[in-house]
Amino acid sequence: MKASRRPLLTAGLALAAATALALTGCSGGSSSAQNGSSKPSGNATKGSISFWAGPSMVGGQDMNKILITEFQKENPGITVKYIPAPQDTDTNRATLTTQISGGGGPDVYLGDVVWPAQFASHQLALPISQYLPKSYWDTFANGLVAGATYNGKVYAAPFFEDQGFLYYRTDILKEDNLTVPTTWEQLVSDAKIAQSKKQVQYGYVFQGANYEGATCDFMEFLTDAGGKVLSSDGKKSALDSPAAVKALTFEQSLVKQGIAPAAVSTYQETQSMNAFQDGDSLFLRNWDYAYASANGQGSKVAGKVGVAPLPTFQGESGSGYSNIGGWDLYVNPHSKNVAADLTFVKFMTGDTAQKIIATQFSEIPTNQAVRTSADVKASNAVLAIVPQTQLVARPSNSPQYPEVSQAIYQAVNGVLAGSQSPSDAIKSASSQINTAVSNGGL
Amino acid sequence: MVTAGTVPRRGRASRTSSHDARGALPPRRNAYQQSMARLGWGFSAPALVVIAAVTIFPIVFSVVMSFSNVNVLGSGFSIDGFTLSNYTTVFQASVWQYALAFTVGYTVVTVTLEIVIGTLIALVLERLEAFRGWMMAILLIPWSLITVISATLWGYIYDPTYGIADRIFGALGMGSPVILGTPTSAIIAMIVADVWKTTPFVTIIVLAGLVMLPRDVYEAAEVDGASGWKTFWTVTLPLLRPTIALAVLFRILQAFGVFDLPFVLTQGGPRNATTSLAILGYRVMFTDLKFGPGAAVATTTAVLVVLGCLLFLRVFKSQVTETGDES
Repeated sequence: MKASRRPLLTAGLALAAATALALTGCSGGSSSAQNGSSKPSGNATKGSISFWAGPSMVGGQDMNKILITEFQKENPGITVKYIPAPQDTDTNRATLTTQISGGGGPDVYLGDVVWPAQFASHQLALPISQYLPKSYWDTFANGLVAGATYNGKVYAAPFFEDQGFLYYRTDILKEDNLTVPTTWEQLVSDAKIAQSKKQVQYGYVFQGANYEGATCDFMEFLTDAGGKVLSSDGKKSALDSPAAVKALTFEQSLVKQGIAPAAVSTYQETQSMNAFQDGDSLFLRNWDYAYASANGQGSKVAGKVGVAPLPTFQGESGSGYSNIGGWDLYVNPHSKNVAADLTFVKFMTGDTAQKIIATQFSEIPTNQAVRTSADVKASNAVLAIVPQTQLVARPSNSPQYPEVSQAIYQAVNGVLAGSQSPSDAIKSASSQINTAVSNGGL
Repeated sequence: MVTAGTVPRRGRASRTSSHDARGALPPRRNAYQQSMARLGWGFSAPALVVIAAVTIFPIVFSVVMSFSNVNVLGSGFSIDGFTLSNYTTVFQASVWQYALAFTVGYTVVTVTLEIVIGTLIALVLERLEAFRGWMMAILLIPWSLITVISATLWGYIYDPTYGIADRIFGALGMGSPVILGTPTSAIIAMIVADVWKTTPFVTIIVLAGLVMLPRDVYEAAEVDGASGWKTFWTVTLPLLRPTIALAVLFRILQAFGVFDLPFVLTQGGPRNATTSLAILGYRVMFTDLKFGPGAAVATTTAVLVVLGCLLFLRVFKSQVTETGDES
């Protein structure tokens, strides 16, 4: 037994060593010129490519399938194979990174708007600005391309944008002679009135669970209060500030005063949406899909829901800040037919596709011309108020963004769950962020 | 007639050879046996290669990664240099220290509860005259459910808005606690879900052990006038030791790697209250893409659980030999 085990072990070690050697080195992509001067591999009108995206269903129809059908009508030479991606963003990322670093993966994939820096620094996405001219990037609404840029190269084409909105019950505000709140303080007083009249159980529901969504919501409160997460060079935490403590204290006070349910520390989008749709809350913070959902089938408050920019703190000018979300189109560095990939990317960000996603699937288009066209605005109530909102991006220009976000959402979640005070939470989050951006720690 | 004649002879032959083996002589292998052994290895080689590819290689690869500077890149993993920095990073991180404490505590509490409750249920089942088969079948339902599914079901039960647990606490006048929203209650909720699911596993193993216990020892105890209580502590439990040890080992191995329950129920929260070593390793590797430190978390976890099991066996074995000396 002993004698026979040894060769096996040796073989195993040899195999491991060989593989480790094979996997070592061979990094580094060719440094290519910028702004569309490079020629992509493959044929722009022929071949077959795969597209990886989470299914996006409205009325039993998958947006991705409809867009692919349209694409193939215009480009009969290219076949697109649709691969439905996992709905959970982190599972989606884990699957993609293991596939791509293993040498495979889909040709074009739909990825979160906060991925570019991390994916760029790990070479999991192709810098497509080397193939596409400035005139192409100019078709997007302001600021969106910057969010997909890392070290001067653009790694993804913005596909649809998303942002936080305030949803409110039109019937209750009217009954109580209240106006749509423009400050957080007014939101609290409106909520108290409706709650005391037993019109609703809660005033405001939002996202406070231990996940990325809690970071998004906190970014809005933080920016309203005048704070920020990272220093301007992105190398240090700027979170430890009175503004951050004010923002988090306010979030905590919503729970403490009973404006928000204690369960908000377990709320993701779905739970807050359910509470609002069941008529339990006067206000809701959610992404743009919530308008169609709250006014659609299965909602007890259908027809009684309005949408507005988020409020800000008293004494601040303008509306409150909305966190930028949304999804971008990335090209896999292993793709054999980059030219066809780019044809697909251009179609998806062009007039036809962007109009479909805006009018049939109530997404916010990234294409500026589509976004401002009158017929699109008329068919999408959320879109009509987009120009009134102020946007703030998460500090995702750091390759260590996932850890920065973990520090933030854990702090928020800890405070909402009552296990930490706001000032302690901000202090420890800030030191966690400093460790993360210096690429240390776990 | 020919076959009838050969069968007993063969039987006798095998009996003698087994006698030889017992008689401290090294088993002699003739050329035929050796060539058969070689042939056997040859036939099982493809299977062994597959097993090596899917188990040994990833384990070795993970250990290699944990001692290297790893960067995941589009072109594959870039691995260079020998370093201990992954381990120092891991050991110094307060989130790892917490995850270790949580995982150890979680393992000790769940395994203890499951062994105690599982053994009690097994004792009842053994006495049960009727419906034993039915009871076993019902008991096995939680065990046969995939953990992700049972965790999702518990998620519905614990839901703060429409969960049944919330209604029960309300009916008992205990208000409306957010079960998964505070650290203590979230940890308790996870332990409950785990105990519910895995106690049947312990029950089945202990029951198998109980059924195989020799009857005469019990008769002797009865003749000596031992009470039921005394019989349990001095006869049943010592005889059950090896069975319970087996159940504990299986459970430690499984509980120490707990991933699916917190992944579904709490995502490791509130804050990081339910972040187990497995959840932490997954997050470090696949969200933060830090494969070196992630591999170090995985390797340390594996080493720790093996050490834990060895320690348990040592303590348990010494106790077994003690009782063996007594008898």
